[in-house]
Amino acid sequence: MKQLLDQVVMEAGKIIVGKEHTLRLALTCLLANGHLLIEDLPGVGKTTLAHTLARLLGLQYQRIQFTSDLLPADIIGVSVYHRGEESFQFHPGPVFTQLLLADEINRATPKAQSALLEAMEERQVTIDGSTRSLPLPFFVIATQNPAHQIGTFPLPESQLDRFLMRLHIGYPDARAERVLLNGEDRRSLLEQLDPCLNLEQLRALQQQVARVHVSDALLDYIQALLKFSRHSPRFNHGLSPRAGLALINSARAWALQAGHSQVLPEDVQTVLSATVAHRLHSDSDTGVREGAGLAQFLLESVPLP
Amino acid sequence: MNPNELGRRPLLALSLITLLLVAPHFVRLDLRISLAFIAVILLRLASLYLPRLHPGRWLLLGITLAGAALIFTLYPLLIGLPAKVALLALMLGLKLMECRRRRDLYVVVFLGYFTLSTHFLFEQGMLLVAYAFVLVIGLSGLLIEASRATSRPGWPLHSLRLAAGLTAQSLPIMLVLFFLFPRIEGPLWNLGVDNSTGKTGLSDSITLGSISQLIRSRAVAFRVDFDQAIPPPRLRYWRGPVLWHTDGRRWSRGRLVETGPVTFRSDADPVGYQVTLEPSPNDWLYALDLPETLPAGATLSADYQISAKNVRNRRYRYAASSRLDYHTGALSERQRRLGLQLPDTVTSRMRALVAGWRAGTDSDRQLVSRALQFFRSEPFYYTLNPPLLETNPVDQFLFDSRRGFCEHYATSFTLLMRLAGIPARVVTGYQGGQRNPLGNYLIVRQSDAHAWSEVWLAGSGWTRIDPTAAVAPERIERSFEFDLDENADPGVPVIFASADSDLLRSVMKQLRLGLDAANASWHRWILGYSRQQQQSLLQLLGFGSLSEFKLALAMVLTTAALLPLLLLLLRRRERIRPDPVQGDYVKFCRRLARRGLVRQPHEGPRDFARRVIRQRPDLQRQVSAIVNLYIALRYGPSDDPQQRRRLHRLVRGFRA
Repeated sequence: MKQLLDQVVMEAGKIIVGKEHTLRLALTCLLANGHLLIEDLPGVGKTTLAHTLARLLGLQYQRIQFTSDLLPADIIGVSVYHRGEESFQFHPGPVFTQLLLADEINRATPKAQSALLEAMEERQVTIDGSTRSLPLPFFVIATQNPAHQIGTFPLPESQLDRFLMRLHIGYPDARAERVLLNGEDRRSLLEQLDPCLNLEQLRALQQQVARVHVSDALLDYIQALLKFSRHSPRFNHGLSPRAGLALINSARAWALQAGHSQVLPEDVQTVLSATVAHRLHSDSDTGVREGAGLAQFLLESVPLP
Repeated sequence: MNPNELGRRPLLALSLITLLLVAPHFVRLDLRISLAFIAVILLRLASLYLPRLHPGRWLLLGITLAGAALIFTLYPLLIGLPAKVALLALMLGLKLMECRRRRDLYVVVFLGYFTLSTHFLFEQGMLLVAYAFVLVIGLSGLLIEASRATSRPGWPLHSLRLAAGLTAQSLPIMLVLFFLFPRIEGPLWNLGVDNSTGKTGLSDSITLGSISQLIRSRAVAFRVDFDQAIPPPRLRYWRGPVLWHTDGRRWSRGRLVETGPVTFRSDADPVGYQVTLEPSPNDWLYALDLPETLPAGATLSADYQISAKNVRNRRYRYAASSRLDYHTGALSERQRRLGLQLPDTVTSRMRALVAGWRAGTDSDRQLVSRALQFFRSEPFYYTLNPPLLETNPVDQFLFDSRRGFCEHYATSFTLLMRLAGIPARVVTGYQGGQRNPLGNYLIVRQSDAHAWSEVWLAGSGWTRIDPTAAVAPERIERSFEFDLDENADPGVPVIFASADSDLLRSVMKQLRLGLDAANASWHRWILGYSRQQQQSLLQLLGFGSLSEFKLALAMVLTTAALLPLLLLLLRRRERIRPDPVQGDYVKFCRRLARRGLVRQPHEGPRDFARRVIRQRPDLQRQVSAIVNLYIALRYGPSDDPQQRRRLHRLVRGFRA
C-alpha cells in the first residue's frame, strides 16, 4: 500500500515540483475522507495541485470557478421545463462529481458558498423537495486567495471548520523553480498523467486508515493539546471536539501513508498545523497566517504525557 | 453593571457579619456607643432596600464627626482599650456606609479580621474561640464569594466550604505556632487593659461590710485540683492575708517583719493540690491551713501567708501542699506584742464581759470556749445585710445589734481575746468551695470569702477559731449557697438553702458545673500553657537545648524549606504518574540528557531518536532498539510483559 501511495506522490511531484510534503498532506486529507482547502496567492499552483490529485486518483472531476455573481443553482443544478414531455427535468450541476474543485471559493457571495458547504457536510443536495445523493467518494478541494485581498468574502469560522485541512503551497525554492521554468508546460504534462489508483483501491485505503492503532498514550496527548488550547489565554477559543476528531483521523491517515501501523505523537505533530491552524484564533487577531504560528505555539507548549 | 460594583447581597452579608463581629464588645462598651453602632448598621440595611435613605456625602461626614465626638466625650483622650475598641467599632460601621466597590469590601473584611482579634484582648474563653472560628469562616467565605468573576445565585455554600477548608488547613500551623513559638511571660495584652474594672477579690484590709459586698459575686476566685480526696468542708480554710492591726473599725496587716525559715510541727499527712487562680489585683496566693511546700518563686511570711511576684492580673496556676493538723510552736516577742494590740475604742462593757469570763476559768482554752459559748447562746444572727454600725462598731455589734457577718464575728472575737490577754489575729481568705463532680475539682467563688480568728494557746500554738461556725454552723459545713434576693432586707437572718429539690434548678446546676469543668480544662491546658510547660514539651521533643531565638529561627527556616517542597508536591500531583514503560523511557532520556542530548518536552520518540543518531551515530544500534521497543509498547497495540522487561534491561544497560 505504501508503495502505491509513494507512487502517487512521485507522479504528482513531476507536476508540482519540490512540494512533496504538501502533496503528502493533501493525499492524507483525501485518505482521511476530508475536504481540503488550499489557501495561497494566485499563481503558485493551487489549481494544478487539485487537478493533479484528481487525475492520479482516477476520480471523476469537475471544476467551478467562483465569482461574485455565482448562484447556488450554478453549483447544484437546476430543474428545467421540457415542453415536449411537459415536465420539469433536473439538470445536475457540477457538484455531482467525485472530486470537485471549487476555485477561489472566497470570491463568491456567502449564499453561493453556503450552497456548496451544505453539500460538503451532508454529501447530498435537496432540490425542489427531493434529496439527491452525491457520488461516492465525494471530495471538495477548494482554493482561496488570502483574506486580505480585494473582492473576497472570507469564509466564516463554522464553514472553515468543515474542511479537514487547510494547506499553503508557498513559493517553490530556487532549484524547483528552475525546473519549473525550464520544463514543459504543466498543462500538457497533466494530460499525459495516468491514474495510479482506482476506486476500489482508494476505498480500501480509506478503510485501512480507520484500522491504524491509536493507543491510550496518544489519546492522552491529543486531549492535552485540546485542553491546552481551551485554557491558554493566547487563544480566543479552544479547539472543538470535531477538531479533535479531525486531528486523530488526519494523524491516522498520515501514519498510513508513512507506512506505520500505529500513530505516534510525531504524526499528530506533522498534521497539526494543517488540521488546526484554520480553527484557531488569537485574542488579538492579526489576520494573515496567524493560525500557523498559533499551531506551532500549541505544539511546542504541550509536553508529551 | 460594573463587575467591581457591589450588589445588594454581598453588602447585606457584610453588614450582618460586621454586626456579629462587634457584638461581643457590646458588654464592654458604653451603651450609647453600642446603640450608635447598631443604628448605623440598621441604617445601612435599610438603605439597601430604600436607596433614598442612604445618607449623602455631607450627611455621612456629619454622622462620622458626631460619632467621633461621642467617643471623645465618653472616653476623653482615648485612654484604655475600650475607648480604642469603641472607635474601631464605630468607624467600621461607618465604613460600611461608603462601601460601593469590591475594594471597599476587601478593606472591611480585613478590618473585620482585625476586629475579631481585639476580642482576645479582653477574654480568651472557649466559647469566644469557637465564635471567632465561625466568623473567620464567614469572613473568608465572603472574601471568596466577592472575588468571583460572576456571582452565583443561591446560598454561597461552595465559598463557605472552601473557606472552612482553608481555615481547617490553617489549624496545624496554628497548633505548631501555639506550642512551639517562644512564649512571652505574662499576657502581652495586659498592656493598656483597664485592670481595675470588674475585678473582685479580697483586699489586705477589712472594714466591716467589705466582705459582705464581695460575697454577692458569683465569680470564681480559684479552682483546685487535689492529688487525693478533697478534704471535708470544715477543714477547707483557704488562707489569705493575716490582719494584726486594728483601729477599732478597720483591720490591716500591720508590720510583721520577721524573716528566716518558717516552720511548724505536724503529724498529719501532707495534702497536695494545684490551684488555678483567676486574675486578681493582689500579689498573694491562697493555700489550705497551713501551707508546707510552696510554688516556685513564692515566699512564706511568719504568719503563714504566701506572697509571690508576677501573679497580678493574670490567671496563675501553682502547686502547693499543706498539713491540715499542726502545732506552730513558741510565740516570738514581736508577735505577742502585735497580737495583743488594742484600739482606743475598747469600752468598759467589753472589759466587763471579758473579766466575767476570766473570773470563772483558769486556762486560756476554757476562756475561748466560754467566748464561743457566748456567741452561741446569746441571740446573734448571721445576716448579709447587717444594720449600719456607726461610732463604735464592735461595741454596738456585741451588745446591741447582734446581727452580722463573718467579719463581724471574727473581728469582735479577736478583739475580745486580746482583751483577755490571749494573742489573737484575724485571718481572711476563703472557706469551703463547691466540688464539681464533673472533673472532680473544687470551685471556690468570691461568695466563699470568709474571715476567721487565730489565737495563740500554750498547748497548740496558733489555733484557728471560727466564731461564725458557732453562730451559723451551716455556713461552714455546707457550701455557701443561698438566694441573694431572698436575703436582701437589712438584718434578716440568712436562710440557708436545703437540698436542691427543684428539678429544673438541679439541671441548671449540672449544666453550670459542666460548663465550668470545660472552662477549667480550657484554662488549664490552653490558656495556662506557660513557658515552663513549653520548656518541658521542648525537652520531650529533644529541642531543649535551643534558645528562644534559635527556636524562632528554626521555625522560620523550616517554613522556608517546607514551602518549596510543598510547591513541588503540588506540581507533581498535576503530572500523570508514568507507567513502567514511560519510567524506563524517562530514564533513558535522562541518561542522554547528561550527554547534552536533551529531549524537548514536546519532542516525539521517533524525532528524538533521529536527532540523537544524527549527533551520535555510534549509538545508533542501541538507541533505535530502545526507541522502537518503546514505540511498540507505548503506542502500539500489544502490551507484552516480556517486551517490557526487555526494554527495562536495555535501558539499564544503556550508557551514552
